[in-house]
Amino acid sequence: MATNPMHQFHVYRIGPEINVVGVDLSFTNASLFMLISAILILILLLFSTKEKKLIPSKIQLISEMLYNFIAKMISDTAGKKAKPYFPFIFSLFIFILFCNMVGMLPYSFTVTSHIIVTLTFAIFIFIGVNILGFVIHGFKYLKIFVPSGVPVILLPMITIIEIISYLSRPLSLSVRLFANMMAGHTMLKVFGGFVISLGLIGGWLPLGFSVALTGLEILIAFLQAYVFAILTCIYLNDALNLHH
Amino acid sequence: MTDLEDFKTRLKIAKSKLDKNNLKKTSERSIFLGNAFKLGTELVAAVVVGTIIGFILDSWFDTKPILILIFFLFGAIAGIVNVIKAAKRMQKK
Repeated sequence: MATNPMHQFHVYRIGPEINVVGVDLSFTNASLFMLISAILILILLLFSTKEKKLIPSKIQLISEMLYNFIAKMISDTAGKKAKPYFPFIFSLFIFILFCNMVGMLPYSFTVTSHIIVTLTFAIFIFIGVNILGFVIHGFKYLKIFVPSGVPVILLPMITIIEIISYLSRPLSLSVRLFANMMAGHTMLKVFGGFVISLGLIGGWLPLGFSVALTGLEILIAFLQAYVFAILTCIYLNDALNLHH
Repeated sequence: MTDLEDFKTRLKIAKSKLDKNNLKKTSERSIFLGNAFKLGTELVAAVVVGTIIGFILDSWFDTKPILILIFFLFGAIAGIVNVIKAAKRMQKK
Protein backbone atom coordinates (compact mmCIF):
# COMPACT_ATOMS: atom_id res chain seq x y z
CA MET A 1 0.00 0.00 0.00
CA ALA A 2 2.67 2.49 1.04
CA THR A 3 4.78 1.68 -2.01
CA ASN A 4 2.07 2.95 -4.34
CA PRO A 5 3.43 6.33 -5.52
CA MET A 6 -0.08 7.74 -5.89
CA HIS A 7 -1.10 6.85 -2.36
CA GLN A 8 0.36 10.10 -1.00
CA PHE A 9 -2.33 12.11 -2.84
CA HIS A 10 -5.17 10.30 -1.11
CA VAL A 11 -7.62 12.65 0.64
CA TYR A 12 -9.32 11.22 3.71
CA ARG A 13 -11.59 12.51 6.41
CA ILE A 14 -10.33 13.46 9.85
CA GLY A 15 -12.92 13.50 12.61
CA PRO A 16 -16.69 13.45 12.15
CA GLU A 17 -18.53 13.79 8.89
CA ILE A 18 -19.98 17.27 8.43
CA ASN A 19 -22.80 17.48 5.93
CA VAL A 20 -24.35 20.85 5.10
CA VAL A 21 -27.34 20.72 2.72
CA GLY A 22 -25.99 17.72 0.88
CA VAL A 23 -22.47 19.14 0.57
CA ASP A 24 -19.67 17.25 2.28
CA LEU A 25 -17.75 19.80 4.34
CA SER A 26 -15.79 17.34 6.48
CA PHE A 27 -12.37 18.22 7.77
CA THR A 28 -9.81 16.32 5.68
CA ASN A 29 -6.07 15.93 5.67
CA ALA A 30 -6.00 18.60 2.93
CA SER A 31 -7.75 21.07 5.21
CA LEU A 32 -5.38 20.13 8.01
CA PHE A 33 -2.29 20.92 5.94
CA MET A 34 -3.78 24.18 4.66
CA LEU A 35 -4.39 25.10 8.28
CA ILE A 36 -0.82 24.15 9.21
CA SER A 37 0.57 26.32 6.39
CA ALA A 38 -1.60 29.25 7.42
CA ILE A 39 -0.57 28.94 11.05
CA LEU A 40 3.11 28.69 10.11
CA ILE A 41 2.78 31.87 8.03
CA LEU A 42 1.09 33.63 10.92
CA ILE A 43 3.77 32.53 13.37
CA LEU A 44 6.60 33.60 11.05
CA LEU A 45 5.16 37.00 10.24
CA LEU A 46 3.95 37.83 13.75
CA PHE A 47 7.19 36.69 15.32
CA SER A 48 9.40 38.51 12.82
CA THR A 49 7.56 41.82 13.11
CA LYS A 50 7.25 41.77 16.88
CA GLU A 51 10.35 43.87 17.44
CA LYS A 52 10.66 46.49 14.80
CA LYS A 53 14.29 47.55 14.75
CA LEU A 54 15.99 49.93 12.34
CA ILE A 55 18.78 47.41 11.98
CA PRO A 56 16.77 44.21 11.47
CA SER A 57 17.42 40.96 13.26
CA LYS A 58 17.78 37.87 11.11
CA ILE A 59 14.12 36.85 11.37
CA GLN A 60 12.92 40.38 10.73
CA LEU A 61 15.14 40.40 7.66
CA ILE A 62 13.27 37.39 6.24
CA SER A 63 9.90 39.12 6.32
CA GLU A 64 11.41 42.36 5.01
CA MET A 65 12.97 40.46 2.12
CA LEU A 66 9.65 38.79 1.36
CA TYR A 67 7.93 42.17 1.40
CA ASN A 68 10.55 43.75 -0.88
CA PHE A 69 10.49 40.79 -3.23
CA ILE A 70 6.73 40.98 -3.79
CA ALA A 71 6.63 44.78 -3.85
CA LYS A 72 9.34 44.86 -6.53
CA MET A 73 7.62 42.16 -8.55
CA ILE A 74 4.32 44.05 -8.53
CA SER A 75 5.85 47.40 -9.45
CA ASP A 76 7.93 45.76 -12.23
CA THR A 77 5.08 43.89 -13.88
CA ALA A 78 1.91 45.82 -13.11
CA GLY A 79 3.10 49.34 -12.35
CA LYS A 80 2.10 51.80 -9.66
CA LYS A 81 -1.64 51.31 -10.09
CA ALA A 82 -1.38 47.77 -8.75
CA LYS A 83 -0.11 48.91 -5.35
CA PRO A 84 -3.51 48.46 -3.61
CA TYR A 85 -3.51 44.77 -4.57
CA PHE A 86 -0.26 44.09 -2.74
CA PRO A 87 -1.93 42.30 0.21
CA PHE A 88 -3.73 39.91 -2.11
CA ILE A 89 -0.66 39.00 -4.16
CA PHE A 90 1.45 38.70 -1.03
CA SER A 91 -1.01 36.35 0.68
CA LEU A 92 -1.38 34.31 -2.49
CA PHE A 93 2.37 33.93 -2.96
CA ILE A 94 3.19 33.13 0.63
CA PHE A 95 0.31 30.66 1.00
CA ILE A 96 1.27 28.72 -2.12
CA LEU A 97 4.93 28.84 -1.11
CA PHE A 98 4.19 27.46 2.34
CA CYS A 99 1.82 24.78 1.03
CA ASN A 100 4.53 23.65 -1.39
CA MET A 101 7.25 23.72 1.25
CA VAL A 102 5.19 21.94 3.90
CA GLY A 103 4.49 19.30 1.26
CA MET A 104 8.24 18.68 0.98
CA LEU A 105 8.38 17.33 4.54
CA PRO A 106 8.19 13.52 4.77
CA TYR A 107 4.76 12.09 5.67
CA SER A 108 3.07 15.38 4.87
CA PHE A 109 0.43 16.12 2.27
CA THR A 110 0.90 18.54 -0.63
CA VAL A 111 -2.25 20.60 -0.91
CA THR A 112 -1.22 22.19 -4.22
CA SER A 113 -0.86 18.78 -5.91
CA HIS A 114 -4.64 18.68 -6.28
CA ILE A 115 -6.16 20.40 -9.29
CA ILE A 116 -9.26 21.41 -7.37
CA VAL A 117 -7.18 23.60 -5.05
CA THR A 118 -5.14 25.28 -7.77
CA LEU A 119 -8.14 25.66 -10.08
CA THR A 120 -10.05 27.36 -7.28
CA PHE A 121 -7.21 29.85 -6.86
CA ALA A 122 -7.04 30.44 -10.60
CA ILE A 123 -10.79 30.85 -11.13
CA PHE A 124 -11.00 33.18 -8.15
CA ILE A 125 -8.24 35.33 -9.69
CA PHE A 126 -9.84 35.15 -13.14
CA ILE A 127 -13.26 36.30 -11.91
CA GLY A 128 -11.70 38.99 -9.73
CA VAL A 129 -9.60 40.38 -12.58
CA ASN A 130 -12.63 40.43 -14.89
CA ILE A 131 -14.76 42.30 -12.36
CA LEU A 132 -11.91 44.76 -11.87
CA GLY A 133 -11.51 45.29 -15.61
CA PHE A 134 -15.22 45.95 -16.14
CA VAL A 135 -15.45 48.24 -13.10
CA ILE A 136 -12.48 50.36 -14.21
CA HIS A 137 -13.01 50.43 -17.99
CA GLY A 138 -16.70 49.58 -18.40
CA PHE A 139 -17.54 47.90 -21.68
CA LYS A 140 -14.31 49.24 -23.19
CA TYR A 141 -12.67 46.31 -21.38
CA LEU A 142 -13.96 44.06 -24.19
CA LYS A 143 -11.41 45.80 -26.41
CA ILE A 144 -8.76 43.33 -25.23
CA PHE A 145 -10.40 40.80 -27.55
CA VAL A 146 -9.98 43.12 -30.55
CA PRO A 147 -6.32 43.90 -31.24
CA SER A 148 -5.74 47.15 -33.07
CA GLY A 149 -4.50 47.19 -36.67
CA VAL A 150 -6.19 44.01 -37.83
CA PRO A 151 -7.95 43.88 -41.23
CA VAL A 152 -11.76 43.73 -40.96
CA ILE A 153 -11.98 40.39 -42.79
CA LEU A 154 -9.78 38.69 -40.23
CA LEU A 155 -11.47 40.33 -37.25
CA PRO A 156 -14.05 37.61 -36.38
CA MET A 157 -11.41 34.90 -36.45
CA ILE A 158 -8.90 36.91 -34.44
CA THR A 159 -11.58 37.69 -31.86
CA ILE A 160 -12.40 34.00 -31.41
CA ILE A 161 -8.72 33.19 -31.03
CA GLU A 162 -8.25 35.99 -28.51
CA ILE A 163 -11.25 34.80 -26.50
CA ILE A 164 -9.93 31.24 -26.40
CA SER A 165 -6.52 32.52 -25.44
CA TYR A 166 -8.09 34.60 -22.68
CA LEU A 167 -10.19 31.72 -21.36
CA SER A 168 -7.16 29.43 -21.30
CA ARG A 169 -5.50 31.59 -18.65
CA PRO A 170 -7.04 30.06 -15.53
CA LEU A 171 -6.50 26.57 -16.92
CA SER A 172 -2.84 27.08 -17.73
CA LEU A 173 -2.29 28.82 -14.40
CA SER A 174 -3.78 25.97 -12.38
CA VAL A 175 -2.50 23.05 -14.44
CA ARG A 176 1.08 24.35 -14.26
CA LEU A 177 1.18 24.40 -10.47
CA PHE A 178 -0.74 21.16 -10.02
CA ALA A 179 1.18 19.18 -12.64
CA ASN A 180 4.57 20.29 -11.38
CA MET A 181 3.80 19.45 -7.79
CA MET A 182 2.16 16.13 -8.56
CA ALA A 183 4.82 14.96 -11.02
CA GLY A 184 7.63 15.92 -8.66
CA HIS A 185 6.16 14.16 -5.66
CA THR A 186 5.32 11.04 -7.64
CA MET A 187 8.88 10.92 -8.97
CA LEU A 188 10.32 11.30 -5.47
CA LYS A 189 8.16 8.44 -4.25
CA VAL A 190 9.07 6.21 -7.21
CA PHE A 191 12.78 6.70 -6.61
CA GLY A 192 12.22 6.11 -2.89
CA GLY A 193 10.53 2.83 -3.80
CA PHE A 194 13.54 1.83 -5.93
CA VAL A 195 15.82 2.29 -2.93
CA ILE A 196 13.75 -0.21 -0.94
CA SER A 197 13.34 -2.76 -3.71
CA LEU A 198 16.98 -2.73 -4.86
CA GLY A 199 18.18 -3.13 -1.30
CA LEU A 200 21.64 -2.61 0.13
CA ILE A 201 23.53 -3.44 -3.06
CA GLY A 202 21.78 -1.51 -5.82
CA GLY A 203 19.90 1.04 -3.76
CA TRP A 204 22.62 3.68 -3.59
CA LEU A 205 22.09 5.09 -7.06
CA PRO A 206 18.35 5.82 -6.64
CA LEU A 207 19.12 7.17 -3.16
CA GLY A 208 21.48 9.68 -4.76
CA PHE A 209 18.79 10.55 -7.28
CA SER A 210 16.30 11.03 -4.47
CA VAL A 211 18.59 13.49 -2.72
CA ALA A 212 19.16 15.44 -5.94
CA LEU A 213 15.45 15.42 -6.75
CA THR A 214 14.60 16.75 -3.30
CA GLY A 215 16.81 19.74 -3.99
CA LEU A 216 15.18 20.25 -7.38
CA GLU A 217 11.72 19.93 -5.85
CA ILE A 218 12.45 22.65 -3.30
CA LEU A 219 13.56 24.92 -6.15
CA ILE A 220 10.39 24.09 -8.08
CA ALA A 221 8.23 24.66 -5.00
CA PHE A 222 9.57 28.20 -4.78
CA LEU A 223 9.56 28.79 -8.52
CA GLN A 224 5.96 27.70 -9.00
CA ALA A 225 4.75 29.99 -6.23
CA TYR A 226 6.72 32.79 -7.92
CA VAL A 227 5.31 32.02 -11.38
CA PHE A 228 1.77 31.88 -10.00
CA ALA A 229 2.18 35.26 -8.33
CA ILE A 230 3.87 36.92 -11.30
CA LEU A 231 1.20 35.70 -13.73
CA THR A 232 -1.46 37.07 -11.41
CA CYS A 233 0.40 40.38 -11.61
CA ILE A 234 0.44 40.20 -15.42
CA TYR A 235 -3.30 39.53 -15.58
CA LEU A 236 -3.86 42.36 -13.13
CA ASN A 237 -1.76 44.59 -15.35
CA ASP A 238 -3.93 43.73 -18.37
CA ALA A 239 -7.06 44.68 -16.43
CA LEU A 240 -5.62 47.89 -14.97
CA ASN A 241 -3.76 49.29 -17.98
CA LEU A 242 -5.70 48.61 -21.13
CA HIS A 243 -3.28 48.98 -24.04
CA HIS A 244 -4.45 46.89 -26.93
CA MET B 1 23.91 57.38 16.77
CA THR B 2 27.46 55.99 16.78
CA ASP B 3 25.95 52.54 16.59
CA LEU B 4 24.20 53.50 13.34
CA GLU B 5 27.33 55.11 11.89
CA ASP B 6 29.25 51.97 12.70
CA PHE B 7 26.60 49.86 11.04
CA LYS B 8 26.68 52.07 7.95
CA THR B 9 30.39 51.53 7.40
CA ARG B 10 30.10 47.81 8.03
CA LEU B 11 27.25 47.60 5.53
CA LYS B 12 29.31 49.47 2.96
CA ILE B 13 32.23 47.07 3.36
CA ALA B 14 29.97 44.03 3.12
CA LYS B 15 28.28 45.41 0.01
CA SER B 16 31.60 46.06 -1.73
CA LYS B 17 32.60 42.46 -1.06
CA LEU B 18 29.49 41.10 -2.75
CA ASP B 19 29.98 39.90 -6.27
CA LYS B 20 27.15 41.78 -7.96
CA ASN B 21 27.47 40.10 -11.32
CA ASN B 22 27.23 36.62 -9.93
CA LEU B 23 24.24 37.51 -7.77
CA LYS B 24 22.41 38.99 -10.71
CA LYS B 25 23.15 35.95 -12.84
CA THR B 26 21.67 33.47 -10.36
CA SER B 27 18.48 35.47 -9.94
CA GLU B 28 18.17 35.86 -13.70
CA ARG B 29 18.69 32.15 -14.21
CA SER B 30 15.79 31.27 -11.93
CA ILE B 31 13.57 33.75 -13.78
CA PHE B 32 14.47 32.06 -17.08
CA LEU B 33 13.59 28.68 -15.59
CA GLY B 34 10.24 30.09 -14.48
CA ASN B 35 9.60 31.36 -17.99
CA ALA B 36 10.42 27.96 -19.46
CA PHE B 37 7.82 26.34 -17.21
CA LYS B 38 5.31 28.95 -18.29
CA LEU B 39 5.50 28.37 -22.03
CA GLY B 40 4.65 24.66 -22.15
CA THR B 41 1.32 24.90 -20.38
CA GLU B 42 0.31 28.08 -22.26
CA LEU B 43 0.39 26.08 -25.48
CA VAL B 44 -1.56 23.09 -24.17
CA ALA B 45 -4.19 24.95 -22.14
CA ALA B 46 -5.48 26.91 -25.15
CA VAL B 47 -5.92 23.70 -27.17
CA VAL B 48 -7.88 22.12 -24.30
CA VAL B 49 -10.08 25.20 -23.85
CA GLY B 50 -10.74 25.42 -27.60
CA THR B 51 -11.72 21.77 -27.77
CA ILE B 52 -14.03 22.08 -24.77
CA ILE B 53 -15.76 25.10 -26.33
CA GLY B 54 -16.17 23.16 -29.58
CA PHE B 55 -17.58 20.18 -27.72
CA ILE B 56 -20.13 22.33 -25.85
CA LEU B 57 -21.20 24.19 -29.00
CA ASP B 58 -21.52 20.88 -30.82
CA SER B 59 -23.90 19.47 -28.28
CA TRP B 60 -25.90 22.72 -28.36
CA PHE B 61 -26.32 22.89 -32.11
CA ASP B 62 -26.22 19.14 -32.78
CA THR B 63 -23.44 19.39 -35.37
CA LYS B 64 -21.34 16.69 -33.79
CA PRO B 65 -17.95 16.49 -35.46
CA ILE B 66 -17.70 19.85 -37.24
CA LEU B 67 -17.42 22.53 -34.55
CA ILE B 68 -15.14 20.47 -32.33
CA LEU B 69 -12.68 20.19 -35.23
CA ILE B 70 -12.86 23.90 -36.05
CA PHE B 71 -12.43 24.96 -32.43
CA PHE B 72 -9.60 22.51 -31.93
CA LEU B 73 -7.75 24.33 -34.70
CA PHE B 74 -8.67 27.71 -33.22
CA GLY B 75 -7.38 26.48 -29.88
CA ALA B 76 -4.09 25.42 -31.42
CA ILE B 77 -3.71 28.84 -33.03
CA ALA B 78 -4.60 30.54 -29.76
CA GLY B 79 -1.93 28.46 -28.03
CA ILE B 80 0.70 29.63 -30.49
CA VAL B 81 -0.51 33.21 -30.07
CA ASN B 82 -0.16 32.79 -26.29
CA VAL B 83 3.41 31.60 -26.62
CA ILE B 84 4.33 34.45 -28.98
CA LYS B 85 2.80 36.96 -26.55
CA ALA B 86 4.71 35.47 -23.63
CA ALA B 87 7.94 35.50 -25.63
CA LYS B 88 7.41 39.14 -26.56
CA ARG B 89 6.84 39.99 -22.92
CA MET B 90 10.11 38.28 -22.03
CA GLN B 91 12.02 40.21 -24.67
CA LYS B 92 10.69 43.49 -23.35
CA LYS B 93 12.45 42.81 -20.07
